[in-house]
This record gives sequence, C-alpha cells and structure tokens, in this order.
Amino acid sequence: MNVEMNVEIVGVLLLGLGYLALLFGCGFAVERGWVPVRITRHPMVYTLALGVYASAWAIYGSVEMAANVGFGYLAYYLGAAGAFLLAPVLLVPIQRITRTYQLASLADLFAFRFRSRWAGTLVTLVSLLAVLPLLGIQVQTLGEAIDIITNSQAGASVALLFCVVIAAFAVIFGARHSQAHGRHDTLLTAIAFESIVKLLVMLALGAVALWMVFDGPSDLQRWLEGPGAVLQQQTPQIDPARWRTLLLLFFAAAFMMPHLFHISFAESLSRHTLLQASWTLPLFLLLMALPVPLIWWAAQSVNAQLANAPSVNTEISIAAYAAYLMTEHWWVGALAFIGGLAAASGTMIMIALALSGMVLNHIVLVAKPPEARSDLYGWLLWLRRGLVVAVIISGWLFYQWIGRYHGLIDLGLAAFVGMAQCLPGMLALLYWPGANRNGMIIGLVAGVSVWLWGSWLPLMFSLPTLTLPFTPFTPADAPPWYNVTLLSLTVNILLLIVISLFTRISEGEKSAAEACSVDAVIRSKRFPLEAATASDFPAHLAQALGEEAASREVARALKALNFTPQERRPYALRRLRDRIQANLSGLMGPSVARDIVDRYLPYRHDNTPETDDIHFVESRLEAYRSRLTGLARELDGLRRHHRQTLAYLPVGLCVLGDDDELLMWNQALSQLSGISGESVIGSHRDSLPAPWSSLLGSVLETTSTPLYKQAVTLHGKDYFLTLHKAVLSGHDSRGGSVILIEDHTEMKWLEDELVHAARLASIGQLAAGVAHEIGNPITGISSLAQNLRYDTDDPALLETADQIQQLTKRVTKIVNSLVGFAHGGRQAALLPTTPVALSSISEDALHLIHLVRSGEDVTLTNETPSDVVVRGDAQRLTQVMVNLLSNARDACDQGGRVHITAGCHEQLAWWRVTDNGQGIDPRVRDRLFEPFTTTKPAGEGTGLGLSLAYQIINEHQGKIDVASPPPGQPRGTAITLWLPLYQQDDQPAHAQDSDC
Amino acid sequence: MYVYRIMLFLVFGGYLLSPLLMNGWSDPESAWYRPFAIWGGLIALTLWLEQKRKLDER
Repeated sequence: MNVEMNVEIVGVLLLGLGYLALLFGCGFAVERGWVPVRITRHPMVYTLALGVYASAWAIYGSVEMAANVGFGYLAYYLGAAGAFLLAPVLLVPIQRITRTYQLASLADLFAFRFRSRWAGTLVTLVSLLAVLPLLGIQVQTLGEAIDIITNSQAGASVALLFCVVIAAFAVIFGARHSQAHGRHDTLLTAIAFESIVKLLVMLALGAVALWMVFDGPSDLQRWLEGPGAVLQQQTPQIDPARWRTLLLLFFAAAFMMPHLFHISFAESLSRHTLLQASWTLPLFLLLMALPVPLIWWAAQSVNAQLANAPSVNTEISIAAYAAYLMTEHWWVGALAFIGGLAAASGTMIMIALALSGMVLNHIVLVAKPPEARSDLYGWLLWLRRGLVVAVIISGWLFYQWIGRYHGLIDLGLAAFVGMAQCLPGMLALLYWPGANRNGMIIGLVAGVSVWLWGSWLPLMFSLPTLTLPFTPFTPADAPPWYNVTLLSLTVNILLLIVISLFTRISEGEKSAAEACSVDAVIRSKRFPLEAATASDFPAHLAQALGEEAASREVARALKALNFTPQERRPYALRRLRDRIQANLSGLMGPSVARDIVDRYLPYRHDNTPETDDIHFVESRLEAYRSRLTGLARELDGLRRHHRQTLAYLPVGLCVLGDDDELLMWNQALSQLSGISGESVIGSHRDSLPAPWSSLLGSVLETTSTPLYKQAVTLHGKDYFLTLHKAVLSGHDSRGGSVILIEDHTEMKWLEDELVHAARLASIGQLAAGVAHEIGNPITGISSLAQNLRYDTDDPALLETADQIQQLTKRVTKIVNSLVGFAHGGRQAALLPTTPVALSSISEDALHLIHLVRSGEDVTLTNETPSDVVVRGDAQRLTQVMVNLLSNARDACDQGGRVHITAGCHEQLAWWRVTDNGQGIDPRVRDRLFEPFTTTKPAGEGTGLGLSLAYQIINEHQGKIDVASPPPGQPRGTAITLWLPLYQQDDQPAHAQDSDC
Repeated sequence: MYVYRIMLFLVFGGYLLSPLLMNGWSDPESAWYRPFAIWGGLIALTLWLEQKRKLDER
C-alpha cells in the first residue's frame, strides 16, 4: 500500500513539476523571442491573461457553489462579466488615470487621489488581509487534490514544493525590473497560457461529463427530467437579495483584487484592448462556467449516495473531483489536477507580484524612505523579490494553519467581502470629486472593522460567528457573510458621504480629485520651477536618488517627452517634472514620489501671478476628445473651430500670459519668423530668439498701439512689421495679451517703388522739357550750317557744314525720340492708323538703347525686314521695343546677343526680340505683365516696362507671346509681339477702353 | 456615449433581473442551458455595441 502511495505521490510530483516546467519553457520561449511578437502582443493574450480571475475557485469552488446554490454559482462569473461590460465607463477612466500618473496598484491610486500616504498604506493592509484567504484557497485546493489523488497526507508538503517553484517563476519572469508599471510580455503570455490550459481542462471535463458519464445531451436531459429532477429540487436556491450581494462582491473583485488590478491597469495595454475585453472576457468566463453544472450533475449521477446526503458539506467539490476518479480513467483525474494547478499558479504569481509592489511602496518605503544610494534600483529589486517569495509562502502558511479547517466558500467570501470595502472609495474617486480623505479613511476603517469582526477574525481564530449590531434588520436565516457585507458597506458608504460633506478638502486633494474624476473641470495652475533648465534636474534629484538614478530618471523622462536637456521652456519643465513624478511613482509609489518631487524639484512661489495652464488643459482636451459627449462635445467642437480660426489666420498672432509665457503662436507667425509653434509655446518671452523677445516686449510695454512698420532683420532680409496689441481682461478672463503681427514689408516696398516711379516720371518730364529747349538751338545750328553751305565754295567749309548738319540731324532724332518716349505712357485716345515700318522703329529703339551706358558688351542686331508695315503709333511702339530691348540686354551675360526679327503671318505681323540671357525667373512668369513685377535689384528696375508694353500692344489690338527658353535654344527668352498689318483701306476707329 | 448609456442600462437592468436566471435549476421544464444562452446573447450585443462605438469614435 505504501509503495503504491509513493508511486502516486511521485506521479503527482512529476505531473505538477512537468506542467510547471512547461510554464517555464513558455516563459523562456517568449523571452528568447521564439514566439512572434504579433502573438505575445495580441489583444487575445491580454484577455486570456485577465482570465487569471478564474482561479482555483473556478475549478473547484464553483462546483461546490453549484452544489450549494444551483445556478447561484454563476454570480462569480457574471459579476466579473458585468464589470468588464462596463469597461468604457468604469475601467477605461481608471486606466487613463493609472497610465497618466504611472499608478501600479489600487493603493497607488488611492494614495494619489486622496493625497495621503495613509490611504495607500490602509488599502495595502486591507488588500493584504483580504487576499490572504484567496491565496490560501489556491494552495488548499492543490494540497487537498494531492491528498485525494495519492490517498495520503502528503498534500501540504508537495504543495510547498510547488509554491517554491511558482515563487521562482514569479521572481524570474515578473520581478526582473524594479518598475512595477509597464508591460511584461513574458508574464502576460505565460498567464494567458495558463488560462488556455484551465479553459481546455474545464471544457474537457465538461465533455467527459456529457459524453462519458452521460450518453450525450439527450441522456443528460432525460436524467434531469427523471432521477436528477429530485436531486435538483433538493438543491437550495439562493435568495435574490443574496444573489445580488454576491454579484456586487464579484463585480468589485473583478477589477479591485490586486492581481486583477495589476493586469488590467499596470500592464501598459491600449484602451482599445481593454474595450475589446468588455466582450472577450465575458466570453471566456462563459466557457469556463458552462461545464460546471455538467460536472456536478455527473458527480451526482455517478454517486447518487453522495447527492442524497442530508446536508451539503464543504467537501463536495473534492467529492465531485473524486467522482471523476471513479470513472476509472486516470487521465480525467490528471486533467482536473493540471487545471487546478494552472489556475492556482497563475493566481498566486499575479497576487504575489501585485501585493509585493503594494507592500514595497506603501509599507516598506513609507517606513524607510529611499536614501541617495548608488544601487537604488538593485535595492528596490531585491526588496521586491523578497516580498514576492514572502507572499507566496504566506499563502502556504495560511493554508497550513487556517485554510485547511475551512471550506472554499467561507474562505473565498471572506476575501471578496474584504476587498469590496474599497469599492465606495473607488466609486467616489471616479465620480465624486467632493469626497475627501477623511471620509474615505474613516469609512474604510469602519467598514473593514465590521468585516474583521464579523468575518475575518472568526475565520482566523476559528471563533464562533461574532454578533454584529443591526443584524435584526436582516432576515433571520441570513448567512454571516451576507450580514457582514451589508453592514460593512452601509457603514463605509454612510461615513464616506457624511464626513466628506462636513469636512474640508485640501487644495492638493482637490486637484487630484479633478485629475481622477470622470467629469472633472481641470484648471491646472502654472508656476515657474526653481530649476531653470532640464539639465539642472539631475543635480536636484541626486540628493534623493543618488547621481546615477537621478540622471537615469531624468533621461528617461526627457526621452518620453522628446525634450532635450537644454530645454528651458517653463511649460516643458513642468511637464518634465510631472513625468519624473509619474515615473518615480511607478518605481516607489505615488506618496514617496510626490514627497521627493515636492522637496527637490519645487515650484517658485514668487510674485508671479497665478494663472491657468491653458496649453496643458488644451492638450488634455485634445487627448480626450473622442470621449467627450453631448454638450461637451459641441463645446469642444466650437473650441476647435475658434482655435483653427486663430491658427490659420493669415496674419501673425501670438498670445502671452500675464507671466509672459507664450500660449499661442499661429501658423502665419511660424512662417514669418521661421520658428515653429511647438518649439516656443510654453516658453517665456525672454527666451525667444532675437528680435522677437525685444519686439514683443516693446509692444507689451507701450500703451499706444499699433507700432507701425518696425524694422527687423529676419533670415538675413529686412522686414517691416506692424504690431497690434489687445489686453485680455474682464469678467472670467484668464489674463494675458494677444498680439497681431502684420508683415508690411511688401507694402513698404511698393510705397518706395511708387515714390521711385514718381521720381522717374518727373525726370522724364524734365527730360522732355530739356529736349524741347534743346530743339530750338539745334534747329538754329542746322539753319546756320545750311547758310554756311550757301555762303562758301570752300570744300573744307562745305564738308564741315555737312558734318554739322548730319550731327544736328542726329541730335534732333535723339531729342525727338526722347520726347516721344516721355509722352508714351499716356493712354491713347484713338486707335493708331498710320503705317509704321517695324525696321525703322527697331532702329530708333536701338539708337535709344545705345544712349544708356550699360550693357555695352552685349551685341544688339536688327534683322527686321523693311517691308513689314503695321498699323500703329510709332512713338508708342518705339517705347515698347525700348523696354523689350532693355530687359533683353539686362538679362544677358557678358558677350550676350540680342536679335530683333520680324515677319508676316496672314493678317498679322510678328515682331520678335530674342536673347540668350538667363531667361525669366519662374517665380515671376505668371505675373510678368503686372505692374511693379521685377527681378532686378531695388532702384534698378521699376517693374513698369512690360506692364506698359502690354498696355500699348493691347491698344494696338495685338498680343504678346513669351517663350523662355525659346524653342530650340537651351536658354534665353523670346518675346513675340503680334500686330495687325497695315491695310490701305484702314479707317480710324475708336480706341478700346482700357482699365489698365 | 449613447452606446455607453445602453451598456449602463443593460448592466443595471441585468443586475436587477438576474435572479430570474436561477429559476431554471430546479425547473425540469426549462432547458438547463438557458442562462448560458441569455449570457451568450448579451455578449453578442456587447460585441455589436463595441463595433458601433468604434464607428462612433472614428
């Protein structure tokens, strides 16, 4: 018999250790990267990891509950399913807070919200006391299953061995880093693997029940309607009020039990994944719950004597398990054992990891704050590992000393009722910003006291149920857990509400309440920090964390925020401070983190006015946009519209707070200044690059705005800016000034060009006057030369007179050209009808061009045939050609060539100026004929030449074609004028009206 | 948000009416899997609402 027993013990050991080795193998496979990331990061892995909720209770306790209360066992599954169905309104807000502030546990969350390290410590103690029975259940089911399988008393020892292996797994794969917050792919995948195992085991056991114990669904139905009906009618039914209470307990446990809180919120999972779990986890739980009644009915069917027992005792679940052994299939027992081990080990690992973090942050570090030490991370890590092992071993001790003397239901309910004491505080945290720490702590202490008195102490010390006050108001047959739940939660809630209403809430707590509340009105204040730049942070933090840890934490926060160590913007420094606090919170809990940051990275409370951190509020609104609904969404839509209006305003705009912090820098101003809004928003005005700091300072200081045409140099060019200012004041104003910055550079340039053009026009008139005055003496000189020819026969004198006459003709021609050009800008009254030979006009234009002493190394060639005669005004056409030749010559490099050619095509003459110069700048090509369009340096071109040419050719009913470069040439420009050919029967006609 | 309200309504309605689920245990007239069928229907409804929420947030 002993030999047989030993063989069975060895078999169970091999089975259990084999399974745990498989778990280690799974962990190593993920860690080595043998399992693809698309699998380890799949949302389904997260859902399955959440399946850790289905602990050994789901494998054994549920069968026991089904035996005791029929479908009442479903409360365990439906409570959790309800919590996840409410994920969008319940779990997602918690996830938002925990992620933003790096909170890894329920205690972190309470300490953060109620701004009290005592709140964190209290919740940790409650969690510890409440979870201990649950931990005990896991070990107990293992131990008892081993006892039954091996028919020995070796269960406790073998369970201890398994506990040690499980603790090693938790340390190796779960406590490798000191940071509790953050995704542990290996751990999640291993827990998901365990969930798959227990699900398959439950489904397999269900299948065994349905097809091996019964002969399929119809046989089961027959049994239920026949012999089973009597047995089912003997099953006590749970009272609706107790059922609802059970639902509430399991609902609270689903997200507040330390291990479930850890997986749901401390692992960095996306919001989408959490929302997906709102239907995938209930589905998992449905599949887990489905085989439970089948298993129980099978057990009843196999052993009717067991079902006919006069009173249902706590051994029924194990008896049900034993019923399978009676089917004489050893593998059924092995399956059930593996399922229990998978459920228990997963739960123990996650409870140990979650509780170790809570105890470390809220008991150990609060009692012994971290000092500036070089091995801070290592110290924290070893502390955590020690706590992980301690938690798992304490589970075994609980089983050994206490648990084995109680049933699974009693132990489980004691745990769930204890944890439910945190539910009022949690709901207040999310939905009631008015709740304060006094109300929460006193309510929690009172509720926990009732629970300890009525449930936990009797369990621990095997005392008879202690009498509670007010129990006469509950039904006489109500079980103790029901009375304890009602009384403790009632006291807890009442005290929370009453004390919160009648005591003061501190400012710090108020801001934390607003940060946590679902419908918070967040009005963050901004203060400057003592540290001037990000590079100052490590030195400040080193006093608390040591140099290495301080540098590492600052570098981590800078990297997360994408800032550089040179960052000086007050807004950025505040965000950096917040990020460091959040990261430290993940490392050592919110209380210690807040103390360190408040002490070593303090705000500067000088005379700076307190103002709202509008930029921060806006960035948060942007982040939560998809969650806004109803009127809030409409208002946010309006806010975005107004913001876009300002952002896309075609005029530069910036907004400064009363403390000179930059709140807005729109796109037009970014383009003008070359400074992006992202880089300067949140910075102080003084830190803006030149000339913006002084420019904005001058407009803020002056009382008489606008400041017109302030000369500044931007990107190496001169600009003229006009600045307008408005002070934001009045009711409900948050202060500050809005400044509009208009670029008047082009207008200033146009003004200068107009002045220049007017000056040129004056010079033209002067030239015309001078030419007229010169004309008379020249005529006199010509007459005198003529007279000289008549008065002498001396060949030398005659030749001199000829030369004088030729020269005076030339002067006359030049003067006539000048006069004609000066008059050319006037609008024609009538269409010109006189015949004009293009060759002579080309010659005149060339004469004029040669008078200008520039571009003398450019060769100008007139190849215009003399027979091309158009209808037009010679003077105005000369002006057109002078402008075209002038532009062509200016465009040519040294040694360039300009040709004038002409020809006829049908009723039109073409007249073309071709150069081999630089061509037309593509930037001005589309507005070539607009006034003041020029690429020449200021003072060298008016930008009026081509505009006048266009106007004149238009008056001649012609058109201008531009080709740059001309066809067949690599560079240069060809401008072709099309003009009507002169016809003998041309009659005068009215000129076109022109609005040019 | 309307989706969330439906969810709230479903969960609290289900909470109040859920004791009816337990009647089937000792009632041979009703199919034993009835509570699971109702539960499955609720999961299907949640899946549908989840898809709707995704569209709503796009």
